[in-house]
Amino acid sequence: MSDFSLSSLMPLAPELFLAVAGMVLLVVGAFMGNRSLRLISWASVVCYGIAAVMVVSGDGGRAETLGGMFVMDGYAELIKIFILVGLAVSAILSIQYLYQEQILKFEYPILILFSGIGMMLMVSAHDLLSLYVALELQSLSLYVLAAIRRTHLRSAESGMKYFILGAISSGVLLFGISLIYGYTGTTNFALIGQALGAEISLGALIGMVFILAGLAFKVSAVPFHMWTPDVYEGAPTSVTAFFALVPKLAALGLIARLVFEPFYPLQDDWVQIIWILSAASMLVGAFAGLRQENIKRLLAYSSIGNMGYALMGIAAGTTAGLSGLIFYMAVYMIMTAGTFAVILSMRRQDVNLEKISDLAGLSHHMPKLAYILAILMFSMSGIPPLAGFFGKFVIFQSAMESHLYVLAVIGVLTSVVSAYYYLRVIKVMFFDTPAEPYDGHISWGRWIVLAGSVGFILLFIISPSSLLDICRTAAVYLIPSSLS
Amino acid sequence: MLELWNVYGLPLAFMLLHIGAIVGAVLLAVAYYTYAERKVLGAMQRRQGPMTVGPFGLLQPIADGIKLLSKETIIPSQANRAVFVLAPMMLFTLALVAWAVIPIDYKLVLADINVGILYLFAISSMGVYGIIMAGWASNSKYAFLGAMRSSSQMVSYEVSMGLVIVTVLLCTGSLNLTEIIMADRPAWVQVMLFPMLIVFLVSILAECNRAPFDLPEGESEITGGFMVEYSSMTFALFFLGEYANMILMSAMTVVLFLGGWLPPFGIEALAVVPGFVWFVLKTFLIMFFFLWARATFPRYRYDQLMRLGWKIFLPFTLIWVLVVAGSLIAFDALPE
Amino acid sequence: MISAIAFYLFALMTVFAAIMVITAKNPVHSVLFLILAFFNAAGLFVLLGAEFVAMILVIVYVGAVAVLFLFVVMMLDISFSELRQGALQYVPIGLVVGGILLAELIFIFVGWHIAPSAMDNRITPMDQTVQNTEALGRVLYTDYIFAFQVSGLILLVAMIGAIVLTHRRRPGVRRQKIADQNARRPQDVLDIQKVTPGKGI
Repeated sequence: MSDFSLSSLMPLAPELFLAVAGMVLLVVGAFMGNRSLRLISWASVVCYGIAAVMVVSGDGGRAETLGGMFVMDGYAELIKIFILVGLAVSAILSIQYLYQEQILKFEYPILILFSGIGMMLMVSAHDLLSLYVALELQSLSLYVLAAIRRTHLRSAESGMKYFILGAISSGVLLFGISLIYGYTGTTNFALIGQALGAEISLGALIGMVFILAGLAFKVSAVPFHMWTPDVYEGAPTSVTAFFALVPKLAALGLIARLVFEPFYPLQDDWVQIIWILSAASMLVGAFAGLRQENIKRLLAYSSIGNMGYALMGIAAGTTAGLSGLIFYMAVYMIMTAGTFAVILSMRRQDVNLEKISDLAGLSHHMPKLAYILAILMFSMSGIPPLAGFFGKFVIFQSAMESHLYVLAVIGVLTSVVSAYYYLRVIKVMFFDTPAEPYDGHISWGRWIVLAGSVGFILLFIISPSSLLDICRTAAVYLIPSSLS
Repeated sequence: MLELWNVYGLPLAFMLLHIGAIVGAVLLAVAYYTYAERKVLGAMQRRQGPMTVGPFGLLQPIADGIKLLSKETIIPSQANRAVFVLAPMMLFTLALVAWAVIPIDYKLVLADINVGILYLFAISSMGVYGIIMAGWASNSKYAFLGAMRSSSQMVSYEVSMGLVIVTVLLCTGSLNLTEIIMADRPAWVQVMLFPMLIVFLVSILAECNRAPFDLPEGESEITGGFMVEYSSMTFALFFLGEYANMILMSAMTVVLFLGGWLPPFGIEALAVVPGFVWFVLKTFLIMFFFLWARATFPRYRYDQLMRLGWKIFLPFTLIWVLVVAGSLIAFDALPE
Repeated sequence: MISAIAFYLFALMTVFAAIMVITAKNPVHSVLFLILAFFNAAGLFVLLGAEFVAMILVIVYVGAVAVLFLFVVMMLDISFSELRQGALQYVPIGLVVGGILLAELIFIFVGWHIAPSAMDNRITPMDQTVQNTEALGRVLYTDYIFAFQVSGLILLVAMIGAIVLTHRRRPGVRRQKIADQNARRPQDVLDIQKVTPGKGI
């Protein structure tokens, strides 16, 4: 039996704080009603800040607690910081949109907060049981968020679709977990690693395949990506922004821990799986994106492609690959935040616009916004010296080091292909015949996000190694010492 | 052969005898409960009640029984026959089956199982099927409305009943009914349980679909509710089931709150009276409460009923579970 | 012997009810058979000595969840036979998928080989003298407290979600406000007037 001294709960402090804060905010909302939406949103942002401070102020060492179900180490710490930043950004981005679109539900920021707790627990999961409950906590909040505008057919449909497919993927995941438990006799990551290190059985292998398939759904890697475009398009744009920003980071963090800790003895096998997921995602993301007219759909395919690049980092199986993955996801998150800040500002006569062609003449009416989006798109397509270039560069480099030449070549080629649709957005903005002007007002919160995003992308070149070094230190925690 | 008889036959015969005794006693109790109801209601309304059949009308229930048995059973042509006939049987069977775990006296119980209270709760929560099946199978609007009302009502009140039971279990530390009765409960714990007794008493009224919560059969609005299409023996089974359920719930209250067969207030001198007498007397008290409530309160409106269940009882019992658990820990009075 | 008879009784009834669930023409009958299947499964649990799980199965699934099922199925006017009309054309696909799954399972069982440390990792069975309610409580609130609490959070989110997605405020509905009713005072609503005979007010 585990002991329940307060110190055993210390590694869990940020999550505990957020859970309590979420319940308090829920009570506040229940009494104040929907007019408290703005208050609760900002309060949740403050909570993310406090939680981030709590994460940083941890001693940084590796600590397992609650009977080995939960682990806190430098790796989890860094990813949790990114998650908290992403949560705060998506909460800030949402506020103005929610008021404009009259989605006045005080539960909105609270659901984001609870899914955030789920994500933080995911990266710290150290047991298949805690993995599953954390994943469900996160997913369930996301299903509700996708359908939160239930009077709109599209939103309800996307929520329904996401829910049903998500439930199936959870079933697949559970099936895998049961096989792993049956063949190793434990659900604890460390013990699974030991058992598999001693002997690898066919059943455990199949179990791992099912688990990876279930998780591939959550990061929308091809061939488990079908839900992504529909959900991105149907969900309210602020929810789409949230989907694009954070959950995939958490799921990738979880996959990385899973393959490097319990499934490390099966490396030869999972590298093949990740290889295929990665290559297929890059190809589908690049080619399917070419024909999209809706900018949310475009970004859905872009995110599928980007998951392909990120998975390449895992396939590399080295410290360099893993730190590349963390770094890539951080840069991707920052770029996406900026992009969605622009998309959320695309309003004409009080209607949100989603077509790429609607961007025509943005440079004419709002040059500032147009230049920002141009920089973001250049960065996304990987034009040096912007941050996006370095992200891809680090990943490709690590793949080459691990002799994954074919994968790296596919990566380079697909990023050339996908550059077409990023650059097309710029072309539409600057060279197409201007349409009517946009509704002007952009809230200061959104400006902060835009400024932060663009500032990071432009100024990254000044000291590229600092963030990379942080990512590398975090990655070392996960890779068994024999390699690093 | 003799060995087989000794191993299986004898215990089986004994068990059947025991079951027979319980069923007989319950049926007799049901018969005279209906008589008591009419007499009590009569007295409360300054009437005589039944008085022509036999001395003081004592043979009235038997006359009623014979009347019901000799009538024709009508099954509506549009009804779903199998379910229609099954529903009253199910309700009645469930009302009897639950008696298996009720300890009438120390060790005087058919099945002294570990999870007795859960068994009782499970059986009583299945009672809703008899009603909902009856309502649906009758293929009649009134019957269906009655069934709908009743199922939502019973499911709602089960929630707070469950929490009440949890509180009692916290104080007794066992799920076994005998141990629940025997558990040593200090006076202040009894006082803390008192509000839960009130909640429980109101909840069993709702659970048995009795006045003031008899909306499922509210004759002023839906003529007879779920049993509007039933006649003769099928109706009699509903009737028996309902009263058997009331007696069962009374016994359950006695077990949970009133100390079962133990003499009241822990007075040793009263222990000379056999335990089962105390048990029966205490059960009569709660059974009287059922009639008293019926004579006193007007029927609730449906939204009021739901409001009471979900907005008052549920929060209150939730908080009270915490309060009781907290004080048990604070005063170090947890059982074991 | 008696437990063997009971086992076969419960098991056969479970299988029979399960088959009837998917073959019954009337959806309400399907649900009723589902309930029968649950009930018999609870019986099987009792035979296994897991009386707590058995009772919880009856209370939660039979007593609450299935009632809501029945509720919904009774109110929906759906004919399953109509829904099933196209089902036959999917049989080949179903057979293929089922066949693949079966083949996989056979593969696993042929290659059944439990890792040597698996047996050591297996959690030791609980003390037989402890009742299983208590045994469950002992591990649930200690070793598995994390999973237990996070499950609680999941249920909270599910509750929030259900309310967000279904609650709506309909305009023009008159609600009873008990506080307002209680706050009414006679002097606010009553006006006592002297009426002189033959004049009216």
